[in-house]
Amino acid sequence: METFPLTEPVFLVLLSLAEQPRHGYSILKDVESMSGGRVLLSTGTLYGALQRLLGAGWIERVQEDDTPRDRRTYRLTPRGRRNLQMEIERMRQLTRVAALRMARKEA
Amino acid sequence: MVAFTLYRWLFRVYPVSYREEFGEEMASVFRDAQSELPPELVAKLSFYGREFSGLLWGALRARVDRLFGPATSYGRRDMCTQPRFRRSTVMLMLVMFAGVVLAMATAISVAGGTLKAVWPSLAAVLVFLLLSICAAVAAVLGILRMLRRSGVHRLEKVRVASKGDGSGGLLL
Repeated sequence: METFPLTEPVFLVLLSLAEQPRHGYSILKDVESMSGGRVLLSTGTLYGALQRLLGAGWIERVQEDDTPRDRRTYRLTPRGRRNLQMEIERMRQLTRVAALRMARKEA
Repeated sequence: MVAFTLYRWLFRVYPVSYREEFGEEMASVFRDAQSELPPELVAKLSFYGREFSGLLWGALRARVDRLFGPATSYGRRDMCTQPRFRRSTVMLMLVMFAGVVLAMATAISVAGGTLKAVWPSLAAVLVFLLLSICAAVAAVLGILRMLRRSGVHRLEKVRVASKGDGSGGLLL
């Protein structure tokens, strides 16, 4: 079951995988970089989110025979990409309304 | 090395199936992150506080999911950047509860009167003390983080406008 809005860490994890498939540590560093060092995920939080996203079918493991067990790669599924797109659209609409309201207040 | 050993040891609180699926990956990611830690003590404390509290919280979550079924929501109540303090509080309460249970067990052992009976409880008390320190560090970091988010540090930049400048209030 999917509910919106997504939390910031989950949103950033999905956004990180939207660009390219990544392994755990790469996701961790990318989330930190995207948020300007504001969102620092612990391994427990990251893998809790990955487990739930795997279970919901939003992400999947990339099947590679030569990948060691401690370096498995994840990527977005079409369903995950669709949901991420919906969330981005929701945020876009929200910021549009916010900008309008702020402009009105200033005027 | 000690931190990694403690990490592996704490990881045992996760369900077996979870450990088999993610154990090696999580340990590997922890080691990678640890190897890139800056030398500052604050950064290290922050990292270990975050990792150990995240680990315990994740384990609790995995256990609850296992008991009541997987989480059905990704809403803000599940994971957000704010509840670090609340997580620390929950962890602290759990540790305190464990402490009370251990204290009762120790008292019963002491009443028995033999050192042999007391020893296992002493080991447990040492573990409890270690966990308490971790929880205290996590709580302090959580409080500092919340204060920073509240914008209290910006009060230093507040200056009072003079009567003549027409603004009639505080300027930031």
